[in-house]
Amino acid sequence: MSEYISSDDLDTWECAACGTSLVIGKVMISYLGSAYPVDLLKCPSCGLVLIPEELAMGKMLEVEKSLEDK
Amino acid sequence: MTSESEQILSTTESVCPECLAKIPARRVAVNHDIYLEKTCPEHGVFRTVIWRGEPAFTSWIRPKTPAFPANPFTAVDRGCPYDCGLCPEHRQHTCHVLLEVTQRCDLLCPICYASSGKQNTPDPSLETIAKWYQRILDSGGPFNIQLSGGEPALRDDLPEIISLGRSQGFSFFQINTNGIRLANDPAYLKALKDAGLSTVFLQFDGANDEIHQKLRGKPLMVSKQRAIENCVDLDIGVILVPTLIPGVNSQDIGNIIRYALQYAPTVRGVHFQPVSYFGRYFDYHGDESRLTIPEIIRALEEQTDGLIQIEAFRPSGCENALCSFHANFVILSDNKLLPLTQHQAKTSCCCQPEDGAQGAALSRNFIARQWIAPKPDLQLPITQTQSLGEWDTVLERARTHSFYISGMAFQDAWNLDLERLRDCCIHIMSPDGYLIPFCAYNLTSQSGRTLYRNTHQKTT
Repeated sequence: MSEYISSDDLDTWECAACGTSLVIGKVMISYLGSAYPVDLLKCPSCGLVLIPEELAMGKMLEVEKSLEDK
Repeated sequence: MTSESEQILSTTESVCPECLAKIPARRVAVNHDIYLEKTCPEHGVFRTVIWRGEPAFTSWIRPKTPAFPANPFTAVDRGCPYDCGLCPEHRQHTCHVLLEVTQRCDLLCPICYASSGKQNTPDPSLETIAKWYQRILDSGGPFNIQLSGGEPALRDDLPEIISLGRSQGFSFFQINTNGIRLANDPAYLKALKDAGLSTVFLQFDGANDEIHQKLRGKPLMVSKQRAIENCVDLDIGVILVPTLIPGVNSQDIGNIIRYALQYAPTVRGVHFQPVSYFGRYFDYHGDESRLTIPEIIRALEEQTDGLIQIEAFRPSGCENALCSFHANFVILSDNKLLPLTQHQAKTSCCCQPEDGAQGAALSRNFIARQWIAPKPDLQLPITQTQSLGEWDTVLERARTHSFYISGMAFQDAWNLDLERLRDCCIHIMSPDGYLIPFCAYNLTSQSGRTLYRNTHQKTT
């Protein structure tokens, strides 16, 4: 289990729909039937998960490219 | 006529194995097996198995929009398969171009699509090869280059041939080799690497000498192993390439995979080629001597004790679905294989075509990325920068320990399907500078006559 949260994010993000501050929560990232637990910021009310831009455009993009099939 | 238990699935075109005349053909299902059936007005009925069992023939589809040649070298005259060059009606761009840089060979294998080793054909000069590279660029390249033959490593100037290609704008070079010289001459292998060799496509028919003796006429295990070890030392990626013949090495598929994994990640994967009846090996003895794609996929699961599952294999987004299968894996630290691919079985009624040109580009990039040795800088653990825990572990292994299994079913005069041929992305450069789809170039009639090989001799 791991986490991907910066202290800045923890203080600044709230859920637009619920108006609730995001909290650290366990999220399962799944790929082709395998699921991997990670800690991300999520809304305690509706479960909406924040994927920070740095993560989406960094590691996730790199993964997508490296796993790209023909 | 078909009996009540048979069903005609679809129609296509083929050639008569006797006279190579174009004739109508149909794909006929008999229980779970599929046959290509055709009738030549002069030479009678021919029926050849093209698919046996699961995964089902009807699920193995991946339609693409046609990607016509950017600059066809021939016009449509007599129609497919007689106008190759490529002609304007060819439906897929080039992924790989095979350059046959010599017809000499230090083996005289009973099976050889190129019929190499016997001819006294002089090697093409560097000047001729420079013209070939230019023709590829003129056709819309650069594309991936496979240096083939004959045995290309018999040429002392192979490093210069690679350097020449580099200077003309090509970036991916694989050598299609029996490995004998790479085993015995590490300085030569080093020179190839320094010139820009990307990967070694190593003929590897089995994990024991009895198989090599039968297929190649010599015990070759020691030289195969030494060639691989030299590639380990020099950090050059290797793909093992078995030619599969029923009853000769079809029972050794699992052993080949296990052998490959011993040398991973230097050995990047295994590429199976079920035997086809062309070149020197055109004497076809019926369906018992034929191995189809689903049989290889099932054998991969059956012979690896659950290490590999059938569901991981899928058709290509580049060539015709019926020509190949492949799966990508990550070798985990406990030596299990985590599949990164999954076949979504579809039926023809609800499958949208993919972009054919994009499929060819993806395939070229995939090969250029996955068949080379992992770059040393990728072996730095990425968990040190951003932690996603177990997921990170998988990602790191994907960068350093990916493993690839694929297979390509070439076509011969018996099972040739012109729809598949028009979708071909593996093209051979003829001596006179034309791009001929692999299975058209090697097509050989029952009496040994060819349409293209040995008929396009004049150099440009």
